[in-house]
Amino acid sequence: MSNYRCVKKGLPLLLSLAVTAGLFSGCGLRFGFASDPDVPGNEEGKAVIDTSKDDFIYDDSLRGTKITMLNSKAEIQVALEEMGRVFGELSGVSLEVIPCGDDTPYTKVINMYNSGTPPTLAILDLTDIEALSSEKALELTNEEWVKECSEYVMDFDSKVYSFPLCIEGRGIIYNKKAIEDTLGETFDPDSLHSLDDFRALLERLTAAGMETPVSLSMENWSLAGHQLQYLYETYDGTSDGAAQVTSMLSDGSISLSDYDRFDQLLDLFDTLKEYNVARLDPLGADYDEMAIDLADGKTAFWFNGNWAWPNLKEAGADAEDEYGFLPYFMGSDENDYTNTKIQASPSKQVMIDKQYATEDQQAAAREFLNWIVYSNVGQQMLVDSCDIIPACRNNPNEPADPLSRDIYNKIHEGLTFNAAAIVPSDHWKVLGDAMQMYLAGRSSREELASSILQYWAEQKN
Amino acid sequence: MRSKKKFKDFCIFGLPGIFFFAAVVIVPFVYGIYLTFTNWNGVSASKDFTGLSNFAGVFSDSAFWQSLLLTFKYVILVVILVNVIAFLLAYLLTRGIRGQNFFRAGFFTPNLIGGIVLGYIWQFVFSRVFVSIGDFTGFGLFKVSWLSDPNKAFLALVLVSVWQLTGYMILIYVAGFTGMNEDVLEAADIDGATGFQKLKNIIIPMMMPSITICLFLTLSRAFMVYDVNLSLTAGAPYGTTEMAAMHVYEKAFTSRLYGVGQAEALILFIIVACVSGLQVYLTKRKEVEA
Amino acid sequence: MSKKTHNAIGGTRKQFTRIVTMAVLILVFLAFMFPFIMVLINSLKVKRDIIKDPFSWLFTVKGLSFDNFVSAFVQMDFLNAFKNSLLVTGGATILVTILASMTAYYIVRHRNKISTLTFSLMVASMIIPFQAIMIPLVSIYGGWLNILNHRITLIVLHTGFSMSMSVFMFHGFIRGSIPIALEEAACLDGCSSTQTFFRVVFPLLKPIISTLVILNALAFWNDYLLPSLVLSDKKLLTLPLSTYSFYGTYSADYGTIMAGLLLCVIPILVLYVILQKQIIKGVISGAVK
Repeated sequence: MSNYRCVKKGLPLLLSLAVTAGLFSGCGLRFGFASDPDVPGNEEGKAVIDTSKDDFIYDDSLRGTKITMLNSKAEIQVALEEMGRVFGELSGVSLEVIPCGDDTPYTKVINMYNSGTPPTLAILDLTDIEALSSEKALELTNEEWVKECSEYVMDFDSKVYSFPLCIEGRGIIYNKKAIEDTLGETFDPDSLHSLDDFRALLERLTAAGMETPVSLSMENWSLAGHQLQYLYETYDGTSDGAAQVTSMLSDGSISLSDYDRFDQLLDLFDTLKEYNVARLDPLGADYDEMAIDLADGKTAFWFNGNWAWPNLKEAGADAEDEYGFLPYFMGSDENDYTNTKIQASPSKQVMIDKQYATEDQQAAAREFLNWIVYSNVGQQMLVDSCDIIPACRNNPNEPADPLSRDIYNKIHEGLTFNAAAIVPSDHWKVLGDAMQMYLAGRSSREELASSILQYWAEQKN
Repeated sequence: MRSKKKFKDFCIFGLPGIFFFAAVVIVPFVYGIYLTFTNWNGVSASKDFTGLSNFAGVFSDSAFWQSLLLTFKYVILVVILVNVIAFLLAYLLTRGIRGQNFFRAGFFTPNLIGGIVLGYIWQFVFSRVFVSIGDFTGFGLFKVSWLSDPNKAFLALVLVSVWQLTGYMILIYVAGFTGMNEDVLEAADIDGATGFQKLKNIIIPMMMPSITICLFLTLSRAFMVYDVNLSLTAGAPYGTTEMAAMHVYEKAFTSRLYGVGQAEALILFIIVACVSGLQVYLTKRKEVEA
Repeated sequence: MSKKTHNAIGGTRKQFTRIVTMAVLILVFLAFMFPFIMVLINSLKVKRDIIKDPFSWLFTVKGLSFDNFVSAFVQMDFLNAFKNSLLVTGGATILVTILASMTAYYIVRHRNKISTLTFSLMVASMIIPFQAIMIPLVSIYGGWLNILNHRITLIVLHTGFSMSMSVFMFHGFIRGSIPIALEEAACLDGCSSTQTFFRVVFPLLKPIISTLVILNALAFWNDYLLPSLVLSDKKLLTLPLSTYSFYGTYSADYGTIMAGLLLCVIPILVLYVILQKQIIKGVISGAVK
């Protein structure tokens, strides 16, 4: 009996020992193989950076300066650390990259300010930059790179406080092969010019056997942060226009019933809803599963942005596969730019701290930004290691994955519009909830409209 | 002489612990209270005294009061379920059943898994396992994900919390049962008392100190629920499962109304203090009677 | 379920009730272990299989491998993070056990204004939402005192935060189970109050100490929020902090996360199994006297 109890007692321990043993035997088995694409964070696909040619002029007086950078773009953490290391070797400035971890970027950065150790550089979203700009951020209006990316530089009171790190574009992602396999004919994404065209294609796909061709995310940031944003961004396709429409909404000088974009947006949204793979339980949709469905060709479309590539890759998509973006179709006017152009704007911005950073640290941080923009090595690493679409035109490198490549090409063909709407920080959450209710069929268009109007009315003060 | 010894005792025994506690908890808390009377946004260099305007903001934030109401519902369910289940299991696990230590270890494992993993696993269960059971059996309850329906998502939160807290409380109830005088129970057995009589007249009174502790701990933890809330539902669907602690956090950091968030936290604290104060008062009285 | 329990308490039809009890226990046990088993199984799969097929048994899955463990081990800088966690958890657990037991002892044996006030403050503080003191805390310890980014600071903060719960539980135990007669006897023998406490009282606290050590150590070991506020230097990261690279903005590396979780949890499991014996020993030696 006592023996028996002993064994039982030891079982959890044994269990854990077994796992540990497995771990080490695993090491023995696996260490021989160089790369396995399934291993997360694996070195596989690590870009080869040519450091032989480097004519960037480093400021020798900054050698030994220590700076830090807060990174809110978790998927490039490893690449940024590598970039920091290379920059350190070349310039003598030590750059440490701090991840946000579980925190939201804003919470993390204000915690760091409160603890007296803010990062010298911080990669943040536009709303956060706006909140911190005048008091904490170094003015960068006269930096040389401003002219390289003038159309993507954000200014507040005509002062620049941040560097646009990357361009991100979004729209309806298509899987070309899935469409062609289903229809048995070649698919030309440029042949679609309106919501009606898109609906016709969806109908043909369902008739050909693809029952539910659309993946529709239910996350608040996707519904309100990305889809509903079109309401402001397509006012006239510029950031100023977006700012104009949000201020009209908050002072009540425009109503949604006489603003066509509202119904146009919801017409497309209703279409996506109708063909949604998760239409029986739209709020039960799973983000990772959508990537798999699209890669497998179970669905053909997914509303998302070029940041979705790592997920598609994990789901089995290959860099040679043909994925790309369709516009967020609005209405049936073929000449409307919303039916031909993709929204692409600088989302992540880098600011430099002026409150705590020493002059040397500020200079070193500025040197790092210049290095990204002008040095051969920095340019390569930004695009090839971080998989980023650069906002600066002088960067000759092209992104490698199909989604970023499509956005990149469209930028160069003039098939994008850059309208960044700066909305309050809780917009995605509050109106995301309203969009979820609409998605689940628990509210009508009118109710959604009144939620939106009410939200904006509360922002008046 | 005597008062000198008393002072020495205080310095050796009481002071060090009190110092750590005060420095880490009380001082920041008091500073936090001060902040509720300012317009500080959490980061700016200036803070101006604004009196009670943050509290006015709390009263006009109807979502806060809704979340509080939901929290009350949640607390009642969780406190009752956790304590009944933990009490029964702890009782069974101190009867010398075969492998009881193994069981105890097993019941404790939920506490080993925290954060996002816990939420993710349970998301699996509610939105996949249940749905595949539903598909297989045609059972309507499992047709769609529990997390996409407000009522069922709330129920899911309760279930996961019960699952997690029970293991913790078992530990305390087990400590209580092992410290219990078994002679009285045996005597009652000989007298031919029924199970229910023994439970009501002997076991519960003797376990009252453990019950006080467990009730207090479950009450405060349930009121403060944040991790499970965030990782399992994050308030979804459409904000219907946002509990008070999560709302406070969102108010301060997502809506960036730091002062209002801080004031709501203070109000939450006062409410919980009243409720658990009342509970401790009531159960302590029972202890004395016993 | 409660009906079955009544039978068990009543002791009638012993064999039958024993079987029923066992069956109930095993069922509940499985429900409790289920997520842990899920972690175990899925830590050995690739992400795609985790998402598409979370319940498939190991041997039917093509992606079964220990890769997740290897990459978790490497990416976490496991040995270094383990060392940090061990120092912080060990230091804080020892500190809080000693300080809290002494404070609780003082509060129980000396009924005066200070002890009453302290005790009520401590009980009340257990319901302060951490979010409410997060910002003030970093302002004070970082902005003013500038002592963040040291392991010792984290130990002190952990100790301070767990003080109230520990004192609360020691308080209950000492009041309920430590007869004052023992101390009075020691007092007659000429022991000083420190000697009385450490030689007579402290050993008797074993059961509650074991319980609290497990609860506190587990809380310190797994805590994410507080260490993330205190430590930012890479060399100082604790185990939970070192898993940061597994979490992406839109999705996470579930296989590696689960493997990392298991790696973090094993030491605590071992501690639990060891202490479980202690709890029983403590109780038995108490019963013999």
